[in-house]
Amino acid sequence: MLHKRFLMVFAIVALVGGFVFAGGQSEQPAEDDGVITLQVQHYLDLADNVSASNFQELVDAFHAANPDIRLEFDYLFNEPYHNKLQSSAIAGQLADVMFLWPGKRTGEVTGSGAIKDLRPWIEQMDAEFAPAALAPQGANGEIYELPEQVTATHVMFSNDRLMDELGLEFPQTLEELIAQGEVIREAGYIPIAMDNGDGWQMQSCLLSALVARTGGREWLDAARVGDASFSDPEFVNALRVIKALYDNEMFSPGINQAAYGQALTDFVTENAVYFIDGGWRTANLTGEMTDDQYDYVSYHVFPALPQEPGIPDSTAVVAGTGFGMNADLEGAEADAAWEWIYFFAGPEGSAIKAEQGWLPAVQIPLPEDSPVLTVKLADFLGSTPGGYVIDAVMDAEGMGVLHPLLQEMMFGNVTPQEVGDRYEAWVAANDSSRS
Amino acid sequence: MTASREKKIAYGMLVGPSVLIYASIIIFPIVFSLVAGFTEWSGLGVPEFVGLKNYTRMLSDPVFRLGLRNNLLIVAISVFGQIPFGFALAYIIYRRMVRGHDFFETMIFLPITISAIVVAKLWNQIFSPAGLFTQLMRIIRDDPRFVLSVFEDRTFAIVPILFVILWMYTGIYMVIFLANLQRIDPGVIEAAVIDGAREHQILFRVVLPQMVNIVFTTAVFAIAGSLKSFDLIFAMTGGGPAHYTEVIAIYMYLNTFKYYNYGFGSAVSMMIVFLSLGLITAVQSVFRRLEARYV
Amino acid sequence: MSKMTLGISRSRDVLAWRIFASVFMVFFTFLTLAPLIWLLYSSFKPHPAIIRNVFALPTQLFVENYTKAWRLGNLGLYTINSVVYTASATVITVFLALGAGYGFGKFGYRISGYLYTFFIMGLLVTAHSVLVPLFILETRLSIDDTRFGVILPYVAFGLPFMVYLATSFIRGIPDSLEEVARIDGAGYLKIFWHVIRPISAPVVATMTIFSFVNNWNEFVFVFVLTSKQSLRSLPVGVNAFAGGMSRDYGLLFAALVIATLPMILFYVFFHEQLKRGFAAGAIKE
Repeated sequence: MLHKRFLMVFAIVALVGGFVFAGGQSEQPAEDDGVITLQVQHYLDLADNVSASNFQELVDAFHAANPDIRLEFDYLFNEPYHNKLQSSAIAGQLADVMFLWPGKRTGEVTGSGAIKDLRPWIEQMDAEFAPAALAPQGANGEIYELPEQVTATHVMFSNDRLMDELGLEFPQTLEELIAQGEVIREAGYIPIAMDNGDGWQMQSCLLSALVARTGGREWLDAARVGDASFSDPEFVNALRVIKALYDNEMFSPGINQAAYGQALTDFVTENAVYFIDGGWRTANLTGEMTDDQYDYVSYHVFPALPQEPGIPDSTAVVAGTGFGMNADLEGAEADAAWEWIYFFAGPEGSAIKAEQGWLPAVQIPLPEDSPVLTVKLADFLGSTPGGYVIDAVMDAEGMGVLHPLLQEMMFGNVTPQEVGDRYEAWVAANDSSRS
Repeated sequence: MTASREKKIAYGMLVGPSVLIYASIIIFPIVFSLVAGFTEWSGLGVPEFVGLKNYTRMLSDPVFRLGLRNNLLIVAISVFGQIPFGFALAYIIYRRMVRGHDFFETMIFLPITISAIVVAKLWNQIFSPAGLFTQLMRIIRDDPRFVLSVFEDRTFAIVPILFVILWMYTGIYMVIFLANLQRIDPGVIEAAVIDGAREHQILFRVVLPQMVNIVFTTAVFAIAGSLKSFDLIFAMTGGGPAHYTEVIAIYMYLNTFKYYNYGFGSAVSMMIVFLSLGLITAVQSVFRRLEARYV
Repeated sequence: MSKMTLGISRSRDVLAWRIFASVFMVFFTFLTLAPLIWLLYSSFKPHPAIIRNVFALPTQLFVENYTKAWRLGNLGLYTINSVVYTASATVITVFLALGAGYGFGKFGYRISGYLYTFFIMGLLVTAHSVLVPLFILETRLSIDDTRFGVILPYVAFGLPFMVYLATSFIRGIPDSLEEVARIDGAGYLKIFWHVIRPISAPVVATMTIFSFVNNWNEFVFVFVLTSKQSLRSLPVGVNAFAGGMSRDYGLLFAALVIATLPMILFYVFFHEQLKRGFAAGAIKE
């Protein structure tokens, strides 16, 4: 009869425990001492030791500087964050302050009128931001979030030690690059480490930069509204480059089944000569590489294409994420929210984040003791022109059409021209900027 | 009179609380989805009534059809894989055919106790291009570019996932069958053994006829679970590459939460309900016939 | 003579079955154990060692993965939350479902058929499709962001399958047992507690295992229905290690072990209890 008694006790403990806890969650008492409390929905990987402790430092500094404002955080990361943001937007329960994207990722929420336009405050701020950071985010030029950084989504990292070993120079043209492939593979290395299992990497980290060369900003502006088409050579030529690289076995084997992070591993462990990813990988490289390795990693853009009618030698840049506020906030509460938004992206917050290898959107001098790779990234960004990142200007649902098409093209099931035609057909029928 | 009154009160006390909790949590969301399925709505702003447009759009979308195909394969592996396997394992343990049956029982059940996210991460660590198995094959075949090409095949990319599903959920069916096998009167089997019945005769003449109802129960469960399957596949492949491992629940998820097609996503989730109902009705009619013949 | 051959062919028969059974079992066991063992020893390697060689055994026991994952991921609190959610939801679900199962299985009311079908329909509903309306419902009732608000949908979503199991089991209990008790003058609730409940031990065991496993691994409700970190559960905590830009496989593996271990222990410990439950509930005629 032991088990019966055991189950009984178990049941009682569980029930009592459940209800005590359930009942114990009372509402926060309203504070009447002039302190404004704001609920903040933040996008943070709590398990990421570096970012999490750095962020805590930032919050502590804010609370110390603003004793009359109290922030309460709800942390989520990846898909769960977006699920929560959407559910609360639909239920009309958005937090006071929330983490937002400049482009389409949170476009439905920012475009719904539930988020305040920050321009009245931005016009009055003193700090100088990189021009790309303050690009319009809404249909009428609204800015819903203050970007914490400007990001290059395409960097072609190279391992100069391996290149010396193989007797290679960084290629000037696409042709030279492809010619190096055989040498590199013979030696047992991967020519270009990339992972495209999730589909977005090829578009964001390579295609966008290529389209900046074959088309350019004006062309994409025209294609977006229907004055040009994704069936045009400006788009299809960029697709052909990807196809050529794949067919010549330049990418990591199994690129389309590799999860994000695998290519980084191959580059860190020196199995790959080149590595294409976003500038944000600087923080990871700094964390995972040794001091020796820092010295022989270089930042480049993809070699020149046969024709570059757009922006030659360009990467693709996009304004970063940042905080925005609930449209319902008024008066003192809205000002308090702005205090935090500005603190986070402005000089004070950026100085704290710079310790971690970030390049802020606000223009402040780089700290003396910045990591080697951060300095290299800063030089890269300072000297490289940038086109649009496609997923920042086109609808997210269309990316759900384009990404699989890119994979199908590499598998040889559709031609580059068909990819362009099919994406154009989707955009013409559905994209919000065409209607 | 008082007896029937007492019965009614007892019924209310036994059934009432379940119905109340269930109804209050489930009814509103289902009605909400059903209605939203007839609208074009991003979730924000004003919904627009569009009739059956969401359903026709869904049925003409090749991605949905690919998802449907994969879902039907999952149903097949569940009904024709997990159930027979689960029964075979339960039978082996029930008839004490292996030593250490307790240990094996635990081993078979173990995968279910692990969350889908953990299983997905584990399998990726093994079969991805940088995984354990791939690395091993590269050494064995002396080919540094070796990868498992099945993951990139439009027709067969779903197969490894089917395999994981089979491994992961067979234990559930084993437990159900084992519990029910233990309800068979042991005397019947002993008598058959004394009469010199062979093992397969015991299996087919004595045991299986008593299991027809249980097989039906498990089939219903397998169908319902299969059409909803999401967590494992979402964490393993996200439906990719190029939608090759797409299933309806992922299609629904992306439309609802990523593309903000709330109305369309609701229609897809209602479609899952309709499809399950259809399949279960079909299975039911098959079992009615089986029952008529054997019981 | 004929008895002899029969005995030989039977023992050969049994041998063949035994060999088949052993091979089958060993194969399955390998599939299950190999990855888990690999996960376990890899969790004691630091991240750089894992990415440099995925097979190698750890050279030293790098326990820091565990202490760090525990602290960073807040796994202590999340484990307690998970236990509270899982245990209370399991007990409530199993108890309610057993009652409903008796009502549906033995009372012979016509409404039972409708209610039963209504429950079965619930098997077909995916969690994601009700997420948004459920969130709206809970915010209107002001039970979002409470433990109660989390447990309620766990119970509601667990009920269909549990009601199904309970009803089909109780239907199979011979009416004679119940009739004997009725002749002795027992009421329905008394019969439920003193006759039906003990006989149902095997199905209660099965229900408990299923309910526990499902609730333990439940993921989406918690993060959408709660905002406070203090209310989140273990799967949400573990997921934090599994994605995103930062990566530390050592931490991830340690977190995976932490999330998996309680379930394995639960099964290993309760397995015996549940077994005895099976035995006690066997109907002797």
